[in-house]
Amino acid sequence: MPTVSSRGDAMRGLAVFISDIRNCKSKEAESKRINKELANIRSKFKGDKTLDGYSKKKYVCKLLFIFLLGHDIDFGHMEAVNLLSSNKYTEKQIGYLFISVLVSSNSDLMKLIIQNIKNDISSPKPVHVNLALHCIANIGSAEMSEAFGQEVPKLLVSAHASESVKQSAALCLLRLIRTLPDAMTYAEWASRVIHLLNDQHMGVVTSAASLIHTLSQLSPGDYKGCVSLAVSRLSRIVTSTYTDLQDYTYYFVPAPWLSVKLLRLLQCYPVPEEPAVRGRLVECLETILNKCQEPPKSKKVQHSNSKNAVLFEAINLIIHIDSEPNLLVRACNQLGQFLQHRETNLRYLALESMCLLAGSEFSADAVKKHRETVINALKTERDVSVRQRAVDLLYAMCDKTNSEEIVAEMLAYLKKADYAIREEMVLKVAILSEKYASDYTWYVDTILQLIRVAGDYVSEEVWHRVIQIVINRDDAQGYAAKTVFENLQAPACHENMVKVGGYILGEFGNLIAGDERSSPLVQFNLLHSKFHLCTPSTRALLLSTYIKFINLFPEIKQTIQNVLQNDNQLRNADVELQQRALEYSQLSSITSQDVLATVLEEMPPFPERESSILAKLKKKKPASVQAIEKEEEKMKKSPPSIENHVNVPKEVPANTVSRLTISNSVDLLGLSTPPATPQQSTNSLLVDVFGSVDQPVAPKPESNISKFLFKNSGVLFENNLIQVGVKCEFKEHTGRVGLFFGNKTGNQLQNFSASVSMGADLQGKVNIAPQKEAPTQIDGGAQVQHFVNLECITFFSGSPNLQLRYQHASTPQQVTLKLPVIINKFMEGTNMPAADFFNRWKQLGQPVQETQKIFQANHPIDTEAAKTKLTGFGMSVLINVDPNPDNLVGSGIVKTKTSQIGCLLRLEPNKEAKMYRLTVRSSVGEVAALLCTMLEEHF
Amino acid sequence: MIGGLFLYNHKGEVLISRIYRDDIGRNACDAFRVNVIHARQHVRSPVTNIARTSFFHTKRGNIWLCAVTKQNVNAVMVFEFLMKMIEVMQSYFGKINEENIKNNFVLIYELLDEVLDFGYPQKTDTGILKTFITQQGIKTQTKEETTQITSQVTGQIGWRREGIKYRRNELFLDVLESVNLLMSPQGQVLSAHVAGRVVMKSFLSGMPECKFGMNDKLVLDKGNKATDDLSKNSGKPSIAIDDCTFHQCVKLSKFESERSISFIPADGEFELMRYRTTKDISLPFRVIPLVRDIARSKMEVKVVVKSNFKPTLLAQKIEIRIPTPLNTSGVQVLCMKGKAKYKASENAIVWKMKRMAGMKESQISAEIELLPTAEKKKWSRPPISMNFEVPFAPSGLKVRYLKVFEPKLNYNDHDVIKWVRYIGKSGLYETRC
Repeated sequence: MPTVSSRGDAMRGLAVFISDIRNCKSKEAESKRINKELANIRSKFKGDKTLDGYSKKKYVCKLLFIFLLGHDIDFGHMEAVNLLSSNKYTEKQIGYLFISVLVSSNSDLMKLIIQNIKNDISSPKPVHVNLALHCIANIGSAEMSEAFGQEVPKLLVSAHASESVKQSAALCLLRLIRTLPDAMTYAEWASRVIHLLNDQHMGVVTSAASLIHTLSQLSPGDYKGCVSLAVSRLSRIVTSTYTDLQDYTYYFVPAPWLSVKLLRLLQCYPVPEEPAVRGRLVECLETILNKCQEPPKSKKVQHSNSKNAVLFEAINLIIHIDSEPNLLVRACNQLGQFLQHRETNLRYLALESMCLLAGSEFSADAVKKHRETVINALKTERDVSVRQRAVDLLYAMCDKTNSEEIVAEMLAYLKKADYAIREEMVLKVAILSEKYASDYTWYVDTILQLIRVAGDYVSEEVWHRVIQIVINRDDAQGYAAKTVFENLQAPACHENMVKVGGYILGEFGNLIAGDERSSPLVQFNLLHSKFHLCTPSTRALLLSTYIKFINLFPEIKQTIQNVLQNDNQLRNADVELQQRALEYSQLSSITSQDVLATVLEEMPPFPERESSILAKLKKKKPASVQAIEKEEEKMKKSPPSIENHVNVPKEVPANTVSRLTISNSVDLLGLSTPPATPQQSTNSLLVDVFGSVDQPVAPKPESNISKFLFKNSGVLFENNLIQVGVKCEFKEHTGRVGLFFGNKTGNQLQNFSASVSMGADLQGKVNIAPQKEAPTQIDGGAQVQHFVNLECITFFSGSPNLQLRYQHASTPQQVTLKLPVIINKFMEGTNMPAADFFNRWKQLGQPVQETQKIFQANHPIDTEAAKTKLTGFGMSVLINVDPNPDNLVGSGIVKTKTSQIGCLLRLEPNKEAKMYRLTVRSSVGEVAALLCTMLEEHF
Repeated sequence: MIGGLFLYNHKGEVLISRIYRDDIGRNACDAFRVNVIHARQHVRSPVTNIARTSFFHTKRGNIWLCAVTKQNVNAVMVFEFLMKMIEVMQSYFGKINEENIKNNFVLIYELLDEVLDFGYPQKTDTGILKTFITQQGIKTQTKEETTQITSQVTGQIGWRREGIKYRRNELFLDVLESVNLLMSPQGQVLSAHVAGRVVMKSFLSGMPECKFGMNDKLVLDKGNKATDDLSKNSGKPSIAIDDCTFHQCVKLSKFESERSISFIPADGEFELMRYRTTKDISLPFRVIPLVRDIARSKMEVKVVVKSNFKPTLLAQKIEIRIPTPLNTSGVQVLCMKGKAKYKASENAIVWKMKRMAGMKESQISAEIELLPTAEKKKWSRPPISMNFEVPFAPSGLKVRYLKVFEPKLNYNDHDVIKWVRYIGKSGLYETRC
């Protein structure tokens, strides 16, 4: 048709259509126009008409345009494929364009397309080959790499292919390798690909450099040869003047892209061994550094950009080599100049590279020279990302000498830091202050300040860590308690501060209780004033603190119990809080002081492990930590830092508090180590606390008696068949012992008998009369009672025996137990003023009447606990008698039927030596001796 | 209460911005533009909450109307107000488009000052507004006129002024209904309802009291009971009205107690009531589709339309729209009556008939050629829709009487010339195929 040629390639229809759409007033009008055009194209593409190539191209173009406007196109694919077989370049081009944009890789047409591409690849015209290669790369599917994985490398290394084809082939191959790295074998054409670096044509070299970079990452061994070639190519570029590489000189910088690629490629391999190559490389790097000193040849930003791009890549390579001190220092100096450059990007890059340099041993000192500048950058920089880099760099350059200054700067910056980086900064400050702390007061101060400044960003790990360290360091505890207390006095303090405060005061509040400004009640009120503002997890922690307070300061027990028994706690909607409140209030009201003291013993030191903060930072920013890791290794070799200070006790005693509490919401200090198995004695104490019946079998029955020294009821004996509980009441010289026999088996215990007998030493001293006959059998699972009346005639030592006989599964069993009837049960406390006490003390002055023992303390010396024990023993503790408040004095009267024996007691602890001196005076010398022996082992 | 009102053109440019309260900042209109007009996904909800601010919008042609508030207002009230505002603007300058708004922006601001006071809707009655907001420049008003306007605006009957006199007392009643239907291919009614309006145009002297009666089932049943089965089924069918709203002139207390609609009408045209019925709708047309795939690239559509009303009546402006698949490459249409055409820009065959009498039947058949597509996506088969106009009320509503009493002036009910007209139009009248 003659008209075809006159129309040429103008595609007026397309232009009109596009301008129509541009002129549409509304979306509706646009979609109407498109619908109309689509209908028109559909009618044109109808099978019965044949279209010439030009019209096909035009309509396919329109379809492409409509697709790019966001409409679905589901026809026209066949026409596009038809265009591929055209001989005209423009038609082919549009066909390929449509296919790479619109055809999905799993289409049925793919076979046809691949066939067409194959035809074009083998075509003699390089433009057609290029089109085909572009299409392969654009689709880049697995199918493509299977179909052409062999063809494309052939083109790449063929002798006849033109440069532009080689260039496209290299990039196409790169794409195919990225989609399907394992589909191809690289070794066979490795050497020939490497030699592309020597190609005359710079374009080929540039694209080949990208390809080799990827290939060398996949199989480094095959491409090792590229190093020397790359170095020589690099040196040729670097040493050339800008007139040499005419087309490839960009604003007076010779081939910047290629230089960057080559420098990157060299970073894939270790430093070349051969001295010649190595020398040449160093020379290149020096030249690059030198060139930066030269005055710029142009004021255009492109010139400096390309020059700096090469420089920064060179610096990266220098850091990678990491064995040329000279170069490292020069690079560092160069970067130092950039630190104050007015170009923000440069400052950013300089800081980033310096971060890496700080990790190298050669340049670390050179980096530290710029500390002032970096700190200044932190303060004055407008760009957030640059400030963040500055923070990273400060973190990386921190060491023992400058840590205090850097941490102080970071803390100051934290106040106005961008919200996004605060958490990370908090972690960094925490790590630095911990790692380089020479002085624990400084550490504690820093962390508390951290919480004050950026409490919201202080993660659990940070405050857990503080507590771990404070607990492990005896010398920091008092200071920590004091500082925390002071910090808590601020009207508004962060919840994390309350957590730390709650924990530390709970553990070490006693260390500052001496000061009346921080007396126990003040401490408690301070903490409790924050209670209502906290989240449930913090409240739970505070409840634990309160129970610890009960132990530490029995004088405020009542106040705390009132709080615990408040409906707000006992009926709290939060199950955890409710449970804690209930358990703690029970614990504090039921148990005696020594039980409490054992349960709430001071936390044992934590086993040392990797700082949880560091782990967290690693998770957040894997890259930035690496520098620190290196430091860390060095630190390990060099002496003291906190982690090395802390002595690690190997065995961890029972952590009873955390066992007691089913702490699901608050993992106290994130103890990931399983709690150590509690000691047996602790366990049996726990049994008593809760009066539980289903506890594991208590060990030897005889050992149990001593615990009844201070109390009157409990489980006397238990095995897997039977449980014996006891409950005693004493009044003056009479008493009643209630025995409870529980059958733990499902069967009847037959031929049961329980008889109380007295040894020879007790004959005549104690009268025993069972209230009723003991039962003769106990049904399965049942419990029977048996009461025994007692009368103390005169004083005695030892206790009566209880003999149990029963038959289980037709085997007779026999158990002999000691009944908890001890002389002190008949003792009643008496109160008297100080003057009376001393009078009587003097009256009982004969040597026979006094027994004195000096012994090592079995338990930590605690006045309050001792008081409770003495009260439980039957003595009343007299206050304000002894001038020394640590000393305890008590008095009591042992009432027997025949006589009343007065006893006086004095207990003098020696905290330094952990010794006690116990003096007991009594009108009957033997009583004094007896009481003294009984008490001795319990302090 | 409404904090501000914005009008945008289709590009999102602000045409009118009037802020009534301080809690709405200037950036509110940008927020709406960014989050609704230029939203990536089409926003379908008419109420959008952005930063604790609620935006109520509606669209008329290419114009967006948007009311803004920070308070928890009655959304229906806001939309009712927006509709009224549109009505007022239409009555002042005709169609609402960008051109008209730009030409009348002084007037619009004047109106906005009047209809909203500190965000509280005030008088929105067009007739009244026109008495003091005029387009003919400012004319100096005499003292009497000013006092009259004041007493009118603040008085009990705000919608009618006193002292109106006509030589001929005349009134027109239009019952306008639109039928909505969705029918299954088998002819089963899936949903149908009629939304109707009674529009009155009155030219009556003085302050007449009118009483309007229609064949409301409740009223009739009540009346029947009262007259004791005398005319239990007097042959007049009654209709069940689901819900209705009245013009403010209607005395609601009387309607509550006696279900009688009595009122002092506004002068000129106004909408007396709006109602909705869902039961016993007489559907004017029945569409019977027949779609058949002949081959992979061809399908055949046959549609029969039956009119279903009295043969003496004539339906008008009938238009049936038959959607075609998205890969249609050619259409051949054959119809006996009217004109049919394939409209590619709308992906539909549009069949138009000027008029059609009742109890008639007409048919169209079309052959659609299809182009094979790359993906075999099934065509969703949108329903066939229809437009028409019939001279009766499809709900069955009949005006029984409209009595006029004017005790002060000397004319009575018989002297008033009354005209009643029924027009039934199609709303969404669709049949699935």
